[in-house]
Amino acid sequence: MGSEWSLVFFTSFVDLGCGLFVALAINEWFSINPQVRWRGAIAVLVALALGGFSSVLHLGHPERIFGALSHPTSGIFIESSMIAITGMCVLAYLFALSRNATHQNLKLITFIGAIPAVILAFAVGDSYVMASRPAWDTLVLPFAYLGSAAVLGCFAYRILVVSPSEHLVTRLKLLTQGLLILQAILMAAYLVALSNAPYSDASRSATQVLMGGFSALFWGGIVIIGLLVPFGLTTLKKESVAPVMSATLGLVCVFIGAAAFRVLMFNVGTTVWQFF
Amino acid sequence: MKNTMVIDLDRCIGCYSCEIACKMENDVALGVYYNKVLTIGPTGTFPDIEQYFLPTICQQCYDAPCVGVCPTGAAYKAADGTVLVNKEICIGCKYCMMACPYGARSFNEAQKVVEKCTLCGHLQAIGEKPACVKVCCSKARTFGDIDDPNSDISKVLREAGSDNIHTLPDSGNHPSVKYILHRKTAAWQATPPKETWRNSNQSGRKGDKQHG
Repeated sequence: MGSEWSLVFFTSFVDLGCGLFVALAINEWFSINPQVRWRGAIAVLVALALGGFSSVLHLGHPERIFGALSHPTSGIFIESSMIAITGMCVLAYLFALSRNATHQNLKLITFIGAIPAVILAFAVGDSYVMASRPAWDTLVLPFAYLGSAAVLGCFAYRILVVSPSEHLVTRLKLLTQGLLILQAILMAAYLVALSNAPYSDASRSATQVLMGGFSALFWGGIVIIGLLVPFGLTTLKKESVAPVMSATLGLVCVFIGAAAFRVLMFNVGTTVWQFF
Repeated sequence: MKNTMVIDLDRCIGCYSCEIACKMENDVALGVYYNKVLTIGPTGTFPDIEQYFLPTICQQCYDAPCVGVCPTGAAYKAADGTVLVNKEICIGCKYCMMACPYGARSFNEAQKVVEKCTLCGHLQAIGEKPACVKVCCSKARTFGDIDDPNSDISKVLREAGSDNIHTLPDSGNHPSVKYILHRKTAAWQATPPKETWRNSNQSGRKGDKQHG
């Protein structure tokens, strides 16, 4: 199938929002940086709204979307409900902040909100796991989506955090590096899954990804821009480049990497046997 | 009850009448198909080469994955076992298109909904057979209830013998459409087909188009 750009941006923005909200929950839980609360929560809402808007663009008849309530086991129902619950938790968090709620309450709200956020980041990938498309029929796919949510959240948090301590910056860099390595492992695992997928076909082979028509997308978009450049940015010395600019560049890179992986997924997602 | 189709590939001459009749009867848009005849082969080495024609349609699966993923219930299985789309409640999310192992569904750009072969339910309602069955000049297509041992379709299958009955690759969807092909005609090719004369640059190997 084609690149399905609306779904590419839907899942990328939703993963960004989910990753950042989990980062806010961790921030709240360990009382790290109170200044990030407001701007972080608003950024999560914007990301989820952009994701939701992108998903609507994909639909032929968005005005009939409430019909989805009749089938609570479908992927779209799970995604829609998790976006709604996560969004409500962010709104509750903002409301609690505006009412100067106790730290215990803020911790509780973000902890509760982080659960649907993690489920949502996983679910937007899990919806594509189906036997009809051998390249998608692997659990590596939703874990890769979850992984991209984590790295997107790390960079977004680094941009929004105000005057972080040296200790926090070091910890955050180590965490981001670890998650990027994990994401690289997941990409390798996806290639292994492609190689072992049933009904092998040139249109979805690992060779096609590594050396064929999708090699520029894979090596350029996913490996270099999505993994190596962001990793390199986390190793920069503080004096060499402004930290926020570095984190912004990193976020742009991992977002492009996440989108590139989704585009690749759609392009290798050919059916078992395509008639028409 | 399970209405489906048996297609005798020993009889099919590749005239494409079924394709055209389907498009005419169902007003299928240009570039879109509910029913398409693929050319399988030639396979083998000259002079021992083989070729057959494979008319493809929705496989009316027993465990249709398109029905399971539909968020609104627009994709459903009727009482006679036919897998259908209720266009009135379809939201056009194309999930069912992703879930179909054969790409047998297409997106109607004008109506913004997904559509597919209905086994000409409107003709069945007035006691007729699907257009592709009616028009087939070599009587290659048989339509009926495969669960009824006395139906024409069951008789055709019994006469063909189990060794000569084939189905398309099954990824857990259990296709109900059966193909009859005797070895004397050609060897059944279980791998995706290569179109030899039409759409050679998009013959199912370059990725599937949702809408032609």
